[in-house]
Amino acid sequence: METYLYLTSVVGVYIGIGVFVVGMAWRIYQWSTTPKSPVRLGLFPKPATSTGRGLKMLKDTFVAPHSARIEPVMWGFAFAFHVAALAALIGHGRLVVEYTPLVRLLGGDGMSTFAAWSGGTAGIVMTVAVLFWIARRTYGPFKQLSVPEDYFLLFLLLGIIVMGNHMRFLGHVPVETYREWFQSLLVFRPVMPAEIANSNVGWSLGTHMLFVNVFLVYFPFSKLVHTIGAFSANLVRSE
Amino acid sequence: MSEDIKVDLELDLKGLLCPMPMVKVSQKIGDVPVGGVIRAVATDPGSMADIPAWAKSTGNEVLSAGKEGDEYVFLVKRAK
Amino acid sequence: MEPQQVDTLTGVLDKKMTRQLKQYLDICARCAICKDACHQYVATGDLTYLPARRAELIRQIYKKYFTKTGEFVPALYEARDPDESLLDELYESTYACTGCRRCMYYCPFSIDTAWILSVAKAILIAADRGNEMLGQLADAALMKSDNFDMFRDIILDGFKDIEGKVKEMTGDPSAEIPVDKEGADVLYVALAGAHSILPAAAIFHEAGTNWTLSMFESANYGYFFGDAEKARRIADRFMDEAKRLGVKEVVITECGHAYRVAQFFHEAWSGEKHPFKVRHILEVIDEYIRDGRITVRHGAITEPVTYHDPCQVGRNGGIFEQPRDIVRAIASDFRDMTPNREEQWCCGGGGGLVAIAEMEDFRLKSGAKKLEQVKATGARIIASPCENCRLQLEGLNDQLDLGLTVKPVMDLVVDAMEIRR
Repeated sequence: METYLYLTSVVGVYIGIGVFVVGMAWRIYQWSTTPKSPVRLGLFPKPATSTGRGLKMLKDTFVAPHSARIEPVMWGFAFAFHVAALAALIGHGRLVVEYTPLVRLLGGDGMSTFAAWSGGTAGIVMTVAVLFWIARRTYGPFKQLSVPEDYFLLFLLLGIIVMGNHMRFLGHVPVETYREWFQSLLVFRPVMPAEIANSNVGWSLGTHMLFVNVFLVYFPFSKLVHTIGAFSANLVRSE
Repeated sequence: MSEDIKVDLELDLKGLLCPMPMVKVSQKIGDVPVGGVIRAVATDPGSMADIPAWAKSTGNEVLSAGKEGDEYVFLVKRAK
Repeated sequence: MEPQQVDTLTGVLDKKMTRQLKQYLDICARCAICKDACHQYVATGDLTYLPARRAELIRQIYKKYFTKTGEFVPALYEARDPDESLLDELYESTYACTGCRRCMYYCPFSIDTAWILSVAKAILIAADRGNEMLGQLADAALMKSDNFDMFRDIILDGFKDIEGKVKEMTGDPSAEIPVDKEGADVLYVALAGAHSILPAAAIFHEAGTNWTLSMFESANYGYFFGDAEKARRIADRFMDEAKRLGVKEVVITECGHAYRVAQFFHEAWSGEKHPFKVRHILEVIDEYIRDGRITVRHGAITEPVTYHDPCQVGRNGGIFEQPRDIVRAIASDFRDMTPNREEQWCCGGGGGLVAIAEMEDFRLKSGAKKLEQVKATGARIIASPCENCRLQLEGLNDQLDLGLTVKPVMDLVVDAMEIRR
């Protein structure tokens, strides 16, 4: 277990984050150095001012109101997934630093309850959304449109989420212990607390991190670059 | 008009608006054998330039193009 | 597949690679939200016409030849060579697209499938698989300008015939169709057909406009064919004429793609700013009515009228209200379709499809959504300022014997215009 955790939750994390950062920088560099076509591809109606265009781009990117109109169910799952993923990401911030103002507001127990509820909800929402997407690709008429990348990413996400849910719902390791591990990574003096390795979440953390690392490594080379590309593509819409 | 030319296909393009007469001649030219002739009658004056321009660019031959009353009559020979 | 052929085709993709295209190819999530946006996919349920699938064919080449991951693990992306089977599929899905960009409107990332397909057309042309008919029509247009001496008199004779009709229509023997007139304010660029010249000439005459008619038609089959160079040269014919005559504005007839080419593409293609404005004829007519330069009789048409937004005029051209204002000024019973304006359904006639005989059945079938919309309004007259739309709408009307009348908006104006004698 110690070796597994060392590989996935120490070495793997460094590799994952390293490849992710370099890969995304490379992707942005590639985009920014490819000359833009002088042809304006905007759709009408479009805002007259550049501020208006910027605001519309943000709305189109974060809310995608047009997509909502044409396929509300798909939009609903997608929107819920992205909000839950963002919530989960923010929640994971507790691994870096405790949200002290929130603890002061809610109290120690209150914070734990809040985290359990919000993290639990996010986990469930993401699980349902990913299962919906897998079903949509597999049973819908779009099986032929899908390529292995699509399933690979969905199952990777499912693995990450299920392992996370396991730690959230069935684990008894307090956040402070996780934080001890994660902060040690940040200062490059990695420690894996024995409470984790010896608990029922040792293997789920390891597997969670294994999937996360693969996800981070693959991210810059996958369609997931829409997370940043959507902004400029949606801006082109209003040009 | 040369009456002695054998016409392989008559095309009634009356009422069609340009560029459709040219489009129709172009679509139908494959229906006559090489060396065959289409006689096309159009009513849009634009066809007077369109059809010869199409023929010249595709290497086909307009044997004659002329106005007869309100109609524009073309004899187009398939060259290849 | 010959390595040399692969080099040629990937070379085209490389040459056409722009930031927009690269992002579109990188970010599509294949979520298929576009499926309900495309009238062709909705009407046929055929994957060939699913917008994301059309673009996916180019993405498969891109992944294999332009990305390391696709080069090493092609199976992950189903990346493949631009071989015969891919080109067959590409031809089907690309030349079928009308370029309406409804899929772009609904896409969460605003991916412009039509833009990707314009690159697909360049690849097909390089593989000698460009659509033959559209190519012929593009060449015929250039033939006219390259051998202008040969065609000049024929074209002028045609204009003379139309001029006679303008005199009849306006009841003014001095009414004329000015050609090659230096110092004119407006260069009007029509289609080859008299129907696009006659009503505009009458309207310009009544409005007292200092105008001149272009020797060349605005229709641009080079654009539909997908050869940017030819498309530019076809548009150059009247853009150069406008420069030479020193006009203040170029006014494009009731044609969708010609307006978009003139307004949005030509400057980018030629790398020069126009020394004149470009407007659509309906913007001009709307202004004439508002300024009282022409008068139309409200209630001149009592039958219910609807208006079809051509994609290239509306969603892709930004002209939504002027045509409606004109129709409302004339018809006592105007009924808009649902949805309309930027969400309107493509009629299925764009992209040069009306010129491709073998696509006729498919094209009419793809008009199902438009037909539903038109029927729901109960209108008897459909006004639409695009030749391709009108041909398609007429085709649908004839096929089902609906007894509707399809007209350019200009024709309604002329019918309702009070001629000052």
